[in-house]
Amino acid sequence: VIRLLALSAAAVAVAFAQAPDCSVLPGSTQDGPLRSYTADNLFEYMDGNAEGYILYHFVAMHGVNCQSGEDTVVLDVSEMENPEWAYGMFASNRDPRSPVEKIGTEAQIVPRRAILVKDKYFVEASSSKEQAAVLRHILEAMAQRISGTTEPPGELSVFPTAKLVAGSVRMVPESVLGISALKRGYIAEYDYGKAFLVREATPESAAAVMNKLRARFDETKPAKVADEAFEANEKYLGRLCIFRKGRTIGGFTGLTADADPIAVTATLAERVK
Amino acid sequence: MKSSRRNFLAGGLVLPAAGLAKLTPAAAPAIDAAVPAAPGKLVYRTLGKTGLKVTSVGFGCMITSDASVIERAADAGINYFDTARVYQSGNNERMVGAALKAKRKQIVLSTKTPANGKADALATLDTSLKELGTDYVDIWYLHGKQSASQLTDDLLEAQQIAKKAGKIRFAGVSLHSGHSEVIPAAIQSGKIDVLLISYNFTTGNRIDDLIAKAKAAGLGIVAMKVMAGGFRRVKEGTPEATILNRPGAMSAALRWVLKNPDISTTIPSMTDMDQFEDNFKCMSAKFSAEDEKTLTAHLERISPMYCRMCNQCLGTCRQGLPVSDLLRFVTYADGYGQFALGRERYRELPDRVISARCGDCSSCTVQCPNGVHVAERIARAQELFA
Repeated sequence: VIRLLALSAAAVAVAFAQAPDCSVLPGSTQDGPLRSYTADNLFEYMDGNAEGYILYHFVAMHGVNCQSGEDTVVLDVSEMENPEWAYGMFASNRDPRSPVEKIGTEAQIVPRRAILVKDKYFVEASSSKEQAAVLRHILEAMAQRISGTTEPPGELSVFPTAKLVAGSVRMVPESVLGISALKRGYIAEYDYGKAFLVREATPESAAAVMNKLRARFDETKPAKVADEAFEANEKYLGRLCIFRKGRTIGGFTGLTADADPIAVTATLAERVK
Repeated sequence: MKSSRRNFLAGGLVLPAAGLAKLTPAAAPAIDAAVPAAPGKLVYRTLGKTGLKVTSVGFGCMITSDASVIERAADAGINYFDTARVYQSGNNERMVGAALKAKRKQIVLSTKTPANGKADALATLDTSLKELGTDYVDIWYLHGKQSASQLTDDLLEAQQIAKKAGKIRFAGVSLHSGHSEVIPAAIQSGKIDVLLISYNFTTGNRIDDLIAKAKAAGLGIVAMKVMAGGFRRVKEGTPEATILNRPGAMSAALRWVLKNPDISTTIPSMTDMDQFEDNFKCMSAKFSAEDEKTLTAHLERISPMYCRMCNQCLGTCRQGLPVSDLLRFVTYADGYGQFALGRERYRELPDRVISARCGDCSSCTVQCPNGVHVAERIARAQELFA
């Protein structure tokens, strides 16, 4: 019993360290009680949109409303299973047309809404009026309060930066390219096609996935890239080239006519450690 | 009214008006004529008084990550696609619009507004149209209404204004709960054409009468959460996962919904082609004895523990305990490993509730219609948190 109580006290301490309160918005007062949700009842707060959180291995959410004059700021902190899922959630919710800032791991602020990822936490702040500076202050305060890593997932640095469409790199939580065999990974848009990366547990399981992929396309042509690779052309995914290097599967789809499938795929494969 | 971030965010999801394209009313698409035939596979139903012929399996785009799955579904003849302003903070509408651009006239496209007022609602509609790359949506839902009072004159008027402007063809309401209030209110308003409701085997036939009344009043009925949502949360390696991961288990849930002829169409979420192909087959397959067995096995497993928040237990505990709340708190601890959260919520309850003990009663007056072992679960909450 003592051990259980000690563990629960520790859990409460951790939970409260990350939980939001209105001190992050000076001069505001708390409007209503603190709220907490798990995957079990998140839908009570946001209905079907909860599925979009659960997809990214949502664990719990703590939130508060802060009132400052006529303005209300809604602040929610979601805990995901690990930093990678939290980053995935952030990337899925940011506006690819707006810039990101280096607050925490990454943040994005638009006039009435701001989001932040740091470690395994995804923070959302929304204001009833346009006030980017205030929202930035809140994110900075939350980033200081949350401990842990500020490094984005390592996969992001694998994608070459030349001709990369800004804001296009994101995590796909399941079925990358709409193919269930590619369980989860990352995609990035380029001027000349879409790149993807999926890490399997072992080289053997990655090789098995490659076999499934070959079987999926009508005609494949072997290519000399990394450990194994093939080219194909498919109605929806377009011209594509897929490679395996160790336990990593990657490649390009939707390649434009002027792109060399082997060359761009080899460039990507070279960057895989 | 209950605090809802979705509603609050309505304003935040509106793009600057200066960026909006000039909008022009659209002619009604000829759905029937345009859909390619796929004999023996595609099954159409009529969406109430809208007259739209929709495939009985549609496509819920909320969690779809790759546009190619949506494109393939449209090519295969699926003709109902659903998104919302708030999904993926607006990114979902953009992806759906791009994926369906070439087939816009052949498909029925729906989106939703989270707004609470007329001006905000109309502003979110303009943003939706811009992001979807279209000048009209076929059905525009008021998103997630859970009480009759939320169907305000203001919002209903916004829908009528949008109709007159040619920005929407039909008005809808979506709801996850509060069926017994919202459905009659929607019928009574005379202004709602389509209802989007949560409906699946875990809710059982409880709301079938309401659905039938809505259909009789001419409303089209679209079913969501047809896979019961919880499937995705089932942990690998558990007996429950073994049942639900059996081939066909998810399809059984969809077929259960489709066996109700009052349901016009369904919008299961799909992230890949395998899921799409499984769901596609459900259109022409009958709900079988094997399906019944699969779903019953799942219900038997979750029933003793899983509160469906139907609130039929409200006021039936002789000690006045808030039964559904207590069941939820114990689920935090036992189901999700969130002991601290469960205890935190428990300790916010009034002292008389915290000090009450199930052991003080010789028998339990609470009878859960869904088979939850109430006394056992509440005693567990008291043991854990008190």
